[in-house]
Amino acid sequence: MNLDARRYVILAFILMVGVIYASRLFYMQVVDDQWVLRAQEIAEKRWEISPPRGVLFDRTGKKIVSNRTYYNLMMVEDEIEDLDTAKFAKLIGWTREEVRNRFKEIVRGEGTYYNKNTHKRTPNYQKIRAYPFMKELTLEEVARIAPHLDNFKGFHEEITSMRSYPYANGANIVGYLSEVSQEEIDEDRFYKPGNNIGKAGLERFYEKELRGRKGIRYIVTSAMNNAIESYADGKYDTSALQGPPLKLGVDILLQAYGEKLLKGKRGCIVAIEPLTGEILALVSSPSYDPNLMIGKRNISMYYPKLLLDPSTPLLPRPLASEYPPGSTFKLLNSLIALQEGVITPEFGAPCNKSVVGCHNHASAGNLADAIKHSCNPYYYAVMRRIVQQNRKKSVFADAEVGLNRWVDYMKSFGLGRKLETDITGLRPGLIPDVAFYDKWYGHHRWAFSTIRSISIGQGEVMITPLQMANIAAIIANKGWYYTPHFVKSIGSKGPLPEYRRKHFAKIDTKHYDIIIEGMRRVVYEPGGTGRRALLKDIVICGKTGTVQNPHGEDHSTFLAFAPMDKPKIAIAVFIENAKGGGGLWAAPTASLMIEKYLNRKITEKDREKTIIDAVFSYMR
Amino acid sequence: MRKGESLVAHMDWPLFVSYIVMLIIGMATVYSVAYNEDHPNIYEYSEKYGKQLVWLGISLFLGLMVFLIDSDIYRKFSVPIYVFTLFLLVIVLFTPKINGARAWLGIGTMGVQPAEFAKIGTALLLARFISTVNVKQQNIQTVLIANAIILMPMVLILLQPDAGTFVVFTSFLFVMYREGITYDPLILKLINRIPGIRFKETWVGGHFIPILFVVIILSVITLLMSNEKLEFSFLPNVKVPGFYSVVATLFLISLIFLIFLRVVSARRERGRATLVVILGFSMAAGLSSMVNYGFQGLRSHQKDRIELFLGMKEDPNGKDYNRNRAMAAVGSGGFLGKGYREASVSSVRSNHVPESETDFIFCPFAEEWGFAGTFILVALYMFMLVRIIIIAERQRAVFNRVYAYTVAMILFYHFAINIGMNIGFAPVIGIPLPFFSYGGSSMMSFSVMMFILLKLDSQRRDVLQ
Ligand SMILES: [Zn+2]
Repeated sequence: MNLDARRYVILAFILMVGVIYASRLFYMQVVDDQWVLRAQEIAEKRWEISPPRGVLFDRTGKKIVSNRTYYNLMMVEDEIEDLDTAKFAKLIGWTREEVRNRFKEIVRGEGTYYNKNTHKRTPNYQKIRAYPFMKELTLEEVARIAPHLDNFKGFHEEITSMRSYPYANGANIVGYLSEVSQEEIDEDRFYKPGNNIGKAGLERFYEKELRGRKGIRYIVTSAMNNAIESYADGKYDTSALQGPPLKLGVDILLQAYGEKLLKGKRGCIVAIEPLTGEILALVSSPSYDPNLMIGKRNISMYYPKLLLDPSTPLLPRPLASEYPPGSTFKLLNSLIALQEGVITPEFGAPCNKSVVGCHNHASAGNLADAIKHSCNPYYYAVMRRIVQQNRKKSVFADAEVGLNRWVDYMKSFGLGRKLETDITGLRPGLIPDVAFYDKWYGHHRWAFSTIRSISIGQGEVMITPLQMANIAAIIANKGWYYTPHFVKSIGSKGPLPEYRRKHFAKIDTKHYDIIIEGMRRVVYEPGGTGRRALLKDIVICGKTGTVQNPHGEDHSTFLAFAPMDKPKIAIAVFIENAKGGGGLWAAPTASLMIEKYLNRKITEKDREKTIIDAVFSYMR
Repeated sequence: MRKGESLVAHMDWPLFVSYIVMLIIGMATVYSVAYNEDHPNIYEYSEKYGKQLVWLGISLFLGLMVFLIDSDIYRKFSVPIYVFTLFLLVIVLFTPKINGARAWLGIGTMGVQPAEFAKIGTALLLARFISTVNVKQQNIQTVLIANAIILMPMVLILLQPDAGTFVVFTSFLFVMYREGITYDPLILKLINRIPGIRFKETWVGGHFIPILFVVIILSVITLLMSNEKLEFSFLPNVKVPGFYSVVATLFLISLIFLIFLRVVSARRERGRATLVVILGFSMAAGLSSMVNYGFQGLRSHQKDRIELFLGMKEDPNGKDYNRNRAMAAVGSGGFLGKGYREASVSSVRSNHVPESETDFIFCPFAEEWGFAGTFILVALYMFMLVRIIIIAERQRAVFNRVYAYTVAMILFYHFAINIGMNIGFAPVIGIPLPFFSYGGSSMMSFSVMMFILLKLDSQRRDVLQ
């Protein structure tokens, strides 16, 4: 037997094991990912640090939405394991007695539930739920306590950053935050259960900007679940970054004043700076104090109440309520008629009350006076000329052509579609078109006489107060507008690109002068419908509207801009079910807003008092 | 030429250097795994690295002593040395249990494990015994004596109990195999009782030991892989049963052998050798599939028992829990590792892998250096083992050769079992990784073992035979 050859058997045996081990190591370390994941599961912990949300300033630099950050020391009784009370008390700077009492206090604080049927009383306290053991700790206290909490099972710190609203105004603009829903978590991995998300208003629209960037720290943990050190010396860590501040075009004091004026009434005020399209104020009445909607506890307490309130305080009326525009609509019909060349500024028409009702006034001999008097028969005549231009033989086919042209103009004013304003909850309003009437009456079954109520802004036409204020801005600019928007700058950047693009109404600039002159006469000439908007040192151009309403008193509306030569504010006021026309309530309200904004003081004290003191019957 | 100079000149430098390199890497790993920010100094005696450094110094000192003593003494005094180590193994059974075993002699932290030194004693006596017998005329008595030399310390070690060292003692069987002391006489005695059969030798009897070990290792690996599914990140939705990878590896090895044969063997032998390789592959693959499908076909409670024995079951309190964490540490190392002192799973501070400074020290090394490191480490061990066998085969004295083989095989066992348990190829039985694991006994015994070998080798020319 050749024993010397056996060395090769042994060598082969050893080398074979070496090759097998090397290949196994290659597979485990290079090819197979499962061990990396397993190792992360074992030894790494991801800590997310949520930055405070971006804050909001008004146009004058006042902070209108800010954050209050604090920490709670939370306790879950079920997770507590042999707590060393003495050590724990020392850590948080209490006495042992105080710690013991606090446990009892939490249980007591949750109250008991009394079952009427069984006559049994059971505590609401649940061992598996987290309760704040210490509330609103400062950053220094947390820095001292938090690193040691790993030694006290069942305790953890919880960062709470909550909104605060130094001015209790503009709730329908800023919206509110609330806990994310499961769908929102599934949709965006940014969120974890318990995180807050903007649920309405600017908080929702600018959620991605405001939330900032989460900081992530990777920590190496030990078998005892203590943090040992940062993973890879913090190479993969990212720091939390607060969202940029948003500067709004809103003037918070003007907003507050508007809310004061509309107390006791249902209605809206929208004010826009015509040159920029920035919304100066957007009042929805009745509203609510945004400070009510802070934190889970408050929201669960107040939200159902606000939701069920018959005066719908949660509804952002200027964006979401669609009203017939009433006589303010006559301005647009005038402009379209001029552009179409179917009338001239000298066009006159008799006030023939047999066609449609009107108030007592001398017949308008020209367009400016027709605006001043808001003459209904006059506008029937104007609208007939727009719709029936005798381009087709059949009166029906002719009306179809005319209406198509009219709709085209109306769309260019931002009507009949949602404005791309930076907020949620917008409604489109309605500009009835051929398809609409065909569906209603049948194809070629309608003509001007069928649809004539649109001449005076009644009937099918619907418009939101925001759209109406935008019309005031377009007239003030003589033909163009920036989409109305709230945010004028995001951090160091300007507004979103959409708000840097001019939109043009399809009306030549030259046609606006006569309309503006008519609007001046509304306020400043005897017989004008908006005399109650008159201010001595500011020239206001306006137009009243009285919107008939099958459900009660007429709505009072007024559309205006000022000053006449260099418009700085365009405004629309809408007051629901106000007894008396647009001139009685909406016009003076608009003038007060204009004076407040331009002069920062009110000269017409009686006018102010009348408006503020008015409480309509439905609000009592 | 003076004696000292000739000693240094005749020392086997490749082996010595690889030994020193191992010591340095091992020391660095202990320092890394046990690193304490409060005492960053490596000389800090209150920390494990400080102690290990002391052990290292003692080991090198002992090595120097061994190197200076005349090599003949080991042969002459092999019987007293063996008896003395047996005596220590008896003494240790009367000490109190530490961690469930009576394995430690000494006071406090400076204790030693007699089992570690029993390996040397047994190696020396086995070498002495084999050098005195004529293997050409071996009989049952020779086989029984050789086995008795091994069995006596094994029984005492099992009484401690120390399963790891117990298993390591079976490495001596390979040495016996190399020297031709096999179980063939026993098998022949049995077989030749059958009328009409009169064998002089049997192939199975002669190669009984390697065959047995191949069968055991292949079965264990097949069983451990049978529940695994291999997945590849670049091939999603492809799951390869673990058993296939065993067969594929066998195939690969056979292929390497065939290529190797083409280059090395003489033309005349090539056909026969190729046939042997193909036959070997077929038999190994057959065995592996038999084990795999046999295991899959078992009833669940029988399966459970085997899985529990091999530590394949996920048991949060059981030993497999450690193995799973150790494998996570090794596997998460990636190609280049996480960097020195960046072992997040297996550092002593994180404590996810218990015993990561002793039996599981391969973990932090693999985690820190990745495949680049582990490949070099495996290669280094392979180099060392091959070198020792080369040294063994160049000895004129049988005593020297046998002793060298015992060193190689003990080292190989520690390497294979220790790393095997970190990569899921061996059950978790606690034995240290030579030159790496924290602890004095293993460091001293391996150093002494190594220096005896170096000494014997450097004086190999003095031996006349
Ligand atoms: Zn009239």
